[in-house]
Amino acid sequence: MATETSKGIIGKPVPRPQRPPSTQVFIPEILKGMKVTMKHFFRNTKEVALEQRPDPTMESLEEGVTTISYPEQTRPYPERFRGLHRLTLREDGSPRCVACLCCSTACPAQCIHILPAEYPEGDKRRGYERFPDQFVIDELRCIFCGFCVEACPCDAIRMDTGQHAAPYDSRDQFIYKKDLLMAAKGRDGSRKSENPRHEPGDATHPGIDRDHKH
Amino acid sequence: MDGYFFLFTGLKILVVLLFVINTAAILTWGERRQSAMIQDRIGPNRAVIYVPGTVLKVLTLAVGGGLVAAVASYAWVASKRSEPVRLDVGFVLTELAVMLAWMGIISARRAERRKGGGILNERIPDARVVFYVGLLFHLLVVALRTGVTGEEQERSGLAFAVFHYVGPVLAAALLLGGTLFTFSNIPVGKVGIRLGGTLHALADGAKMAFKEDFIPPNADRLLHSLGPLIALFPAFVVFAVIPFGDTVCIHPDTSGHFWADLFNARIGDIGGRGYSPYISRYGICSEGAVPLQVANLNVGILYMFALAGTGIIGAAIAGWSSDNKFSLLGGLRASSQMVSYEVAMGLSLVGAFMTYGSVRLDDMVRWQSENAWGIFVQPFAFFLFLAASIAENKRLPFDAPEGESEIVAGYSLEYSGFKFGMFMFGEYIELAVASAVLVTVFFGGYALPFLHRDGITLELGNTVYYHLALSHRLVIVLGVITFFLKTWIACWVQLFIRWTVPRFRYDQIMKLGWRFLLPSALVNVVLTGVVLLVIDAAGPAFGSTLDVLADASQGLVLVLGVVGFIVLVSGILAPPRKRARAVSSSATFAKAAGGTQTSPMQA
Repeated sequence: MATETSKGIIGKPVPRPQRPPSTQVFIPEILKGMKVTMKHFFRNTKEVALEQRPDPTMESLEEGVTTISYPEQTRPYPERFRGLHRLTLREDGSPRCVACLCCSTACPAQCIHILPAEYPEGDKRRGYERFPDQFVIDELRCIFCGFCVEACPCDAIRMDTGQHAAPYDSRDQFIYKKDLLMAAKGRDGSRKSENPRHEPGDATHPGIDRDHKH
Repeated sequence: MDGYFFLFTGLKILVVLLFVINTAAILTWGERRQSAMIQDRIGPNRAVIYVPGTVLKVLTLAVGGGLVAAVASYAWVASKRSEPVRLDVGFVLTELAVMLAWMGIISARRAERRKGGGILNERIPDARVVFYVGLLFHLLVVALRTGVTGEEQERSGLAFAVFHYVGPVLAAALLLGGTLFTFSNIPVGKVGIRLGGTLHALADGAKMAFKEDFIPPNADRLLHSLGPLIALFPAFVVFAVIPFGDTVCIHPDTSGHFWADLFNARIGDIGGRGYSPYISRYGICSEGAVPLQVANLNVGILYMFALAGTGIIGAAIAGWSSDNKFSLLGGLRASSQMVSYEVAMGLSLVGAFMTYGSVRLDDMVRWQSENAWGIFVQPFAFFLFLAASIAENKRLPFDAPEGESEIVAGYSLEYSGFKFGMFMFGEYIELAVASAVLVTVFFGGYALPFLHRDGITLELGNTVYYHLALSHRLVIVLGVITFFLKTWIACWVQLFIRWTVPRFRYDQIMKLGWRFLLPSALVNVVLTGVVLLVIDAAGPAFGSTLDVLADASQGLVLVLGVVGFIVLVSGILAPPRKRARAVSSSATFAKAAGGTQTSPMQA
């Protein structure tokens, strides 16, 4: 039944909780509470210890349960999951990357550092492309947006490893250098890319270099 | 100051350190696991080491065989001795055999049930019956032993047959049987060792040690590293003044056989014949006395107050040097809480000092052993001290300095790796030490009811009903075990307080400290003084009444202890509840509902 108070507030007055001295002393109330917790503790411990009921901890490790016990079990990631980066390789084992700096330019987190270098005099690739002397990705800074993969004109950087960053024990270990990025495999187990690569000198190569444009 | 002094001090430090560190490690795990058991959810229990079953089989054979050999050699050594020694050893081994028998029947019954059915389960529907019958047999053995008085010591009768042959042989046979049973039940393949889940604490510690040690860029590097050290150190050293056992009297010229006399119950009766030493009840031996206390300081508990107070400097420094507002707030809260409760803590014990007439902790324990435990003479001070010591340790319900929901983690917010581990570990060491102090001041320390330096004396006032002289070594060993067990129980109760009581608001903490605990402690001091004056004025007649009351309180403790043990064991052995739940966790619930479904996201 709604009543109207003198201040014009509509509602049912709720009685304030009574706190007799026995409650305010607090000790009997704590003892009452401890009785409840102890009852649950003893009952659960006894039933689990005497195997009258499965241990929830052990049960969570069983097959077919909702909880995934992470280090032992892992949830399969979706096919297009963006995981740790890898640098795809050419047939001769060198990186496909031509150090054009598209990825590091596109990167919103600025986590990619590339130091380009020229091929030595006489190399058939000299004049056509460069190679990365250093290729460093800070995986802690990366936001896994995938822009670098989009930006790459050579299909040289990919995020198809299907792996998440491991919990290392220091920040230095999250700085992935060129050799580590080249060692990573894609989900298909290959270090290469399925897209064909046209090397300078191949019949399919457009034959464009810095001196001979279209 | 001879070489022995340093040797014994080193040994005592080793014992204390081992006890404190292991207790803290077990508590770190136990606190989480206990909350899981209260709420019936997943707790830390998963760390596992896989060992080949063959190794375990060999280990079982070695341990079991060693125990059988120990029992056999103990009985064999004792059989060369005089009749009373032989009887005592036989008595101890017979009691052991009875205990092994009822425990063995219960575990065999469990093993049968696991396989399904079985004769034992059909014949004995309730496991408690086995326990009660076992208790009856324990009492029967005691009656049989007391039936043989010192005069009739010829080799005949039931008692001699039981104590000389049946008991020792049965004990050895049961140990052997248990060993073989365990041996045959261990599978050959790899077996996961979890040690009841305590390996989890080990794994956590290892993890802490290998994690990155992060220092905020603008933090004070020196103070940031110093904070955890300052917090951890006082927690350890406070244990130095706590006596963990009665004073040991070393008699280098003791004749008699060390192993045969080690646990002989009534050896004191025949002490005059060159056996294990017999110590008088009052006074401490003038030569070769080794107090089981690292430092026997005359300032006693004041040393504890002085050093426990410095621990908070670590928290304050950590809060300030972390360059974080939440940390600073946590450090400030910790220091203000310590200042408020240190006063109440010190004053709450003044009543106890007045009653015991000493601030030395070993004197306090001796007073409680001769009179009544502190909880009976200073019940009000006990609650005040408990509240103040929990507040000092910054544990729930007084953990405002850490207050996860308000200031993230307080002063330990900017700590990681082993430095955080030191804060965390320090908290549990403080808990163990606080429990030890609580036990020493209010629960008789290493004292057991009616057990004195010369053995068991059942008395009420000046009337002695029963006296049993015990060997000095046995009394010391019993005392040390008692102290450690009592400390563990006190720790366990404090863990329960944590999982029961929610956190106080900061202003409530200050109100409770300054407006309730402090005045109450002062009132307690005044009341204690008045009562002590009244007792002094009342004369010796009233004093003897008090003696009777004190002994009655010791009897009450004894009865409560025995009843508590029986209730605990029979509660454990009680048959499971009829209305057992089919679904005990979300895991089984999902299974019962048809298992988990593959989500479309999964590849």
